[in-house]
Amino acid sequence: MNTNKKVFIVLPSYLESKVIGKVIRDIKKEGFKNIIVVDDGSKDDTYKIARSENVYVTKHLINRGKGAATQTGLDISRELGADITVTMDSDGQHNPKYIKSLIKPILEDKADVTIGARLENREDMPLSRRVMNVIANVITWIFFGVYVRDSQSGFRAYSKKSLEKVYTYMDRYEFESEMLGAIKGANLKLVEVPIEVIYTEHSKNKYKNNPKTISQGLINGISMFVRLLENSIFK
Amino acid sequence: MLIQIIATIFIILIIFPSLYSYLKRENLTLFGFLIWVLFWILAIVIIWNPGIIVFIGNTLGVERSIDALIYIAIILLLFSTMSGRIKINHCNREITELVREYATNNVKKPTQNESEKE
Repeated sequence: MNTNKKVFIVLPSYLESKVIGKVIRDIKKEGFKNIIVVDDGSKDDTYKIARSENVYVTKHLINRGKGAATQTGLDISRELGADITVTMDSDGQHNPKYIKSLIKPILEDKADVTIGARLENREDMPLSRRVMNVIANVITWIFFGVYVRDSQSGFRAYSKKSLEKVYTYMDRYEFESEMLGAIKGANLKLVEVPIEVIYTEHSKNKYKNNPKTISQGLINGISMFVRLLENSIFK
Repeated sequence: MLIQIIATIFIILIIFPSLYSYLKRENLTLFGFLIWVLFWILAIVIIWNPGIIVFIGNTLGVERSIDALIYIAIILLLFSTMSGRIKINHCNREITELVREYATNNVKKPTQNESEKE
């Protein structure tokens, strides 16, 4: 994509030593060289491997969650003077070919923030995540008054203006919803871009032993609700 | 009667000032402060009108009402839990800020300058 805009890719990473190298190389193949890896306190070689790929790398001394790692990456990107910042998962589920689709509406001034909505080949998505996504979309609407089709997608693009206006405080997955609330609060233009996801065995089994169960999705949804409720009470 | 006075004084002189202190130190949002104040006002109402509990107990099919000692124990436990949650949440925020600040100040740059405009 020929543009004089400076695009940075933020990769919050936790225990991704098996795939982080490939993810970085795949992004570079799409023509994006400004990559920031935030290792969220991994005990494996995630940090070391990311360093060997010749990109910006930093490390959380202890694990603080995806939300905290993403916000760290966004802060660094802003400090490095990014015009557009794209956040992606580090487990390889996001295809870098969609980066261009995500930043296009921002370049054309049609959006301040775009979300890569996992709307294609959803049959590959583990059942627990599909259940979690439905619950999370409803919870996001209840707490923040924003309804999007994929509120938990971590594949997003932010304009420079939007990063100056939004900030999140939640450490874990709820930050995706919190961010949507912040986007709405700052009156920023939000556009959903359909994307395809790649669910490898690694990404499916990364966190939970049994990703196929509906109950895990329900538990995650309830945990998210409780943490958002706490966030509305505690500072 | 004495136990009701003691419980009420405890709530007014210890719990309410604590909540106000949490609010002033920005450990609680205004919304959270109001929720907790409402909760403890409700506790005072129940302390002075135990018939409410008896009514609820009867409605739920519980025949024996709880004695004063258990009331106090529950109040203390709730207060302890509330304070604990507030402190844990505050500590979590501070730990995250610390970890993030360290990470932001210790970014390793690419060894070869691959930075380029896309």
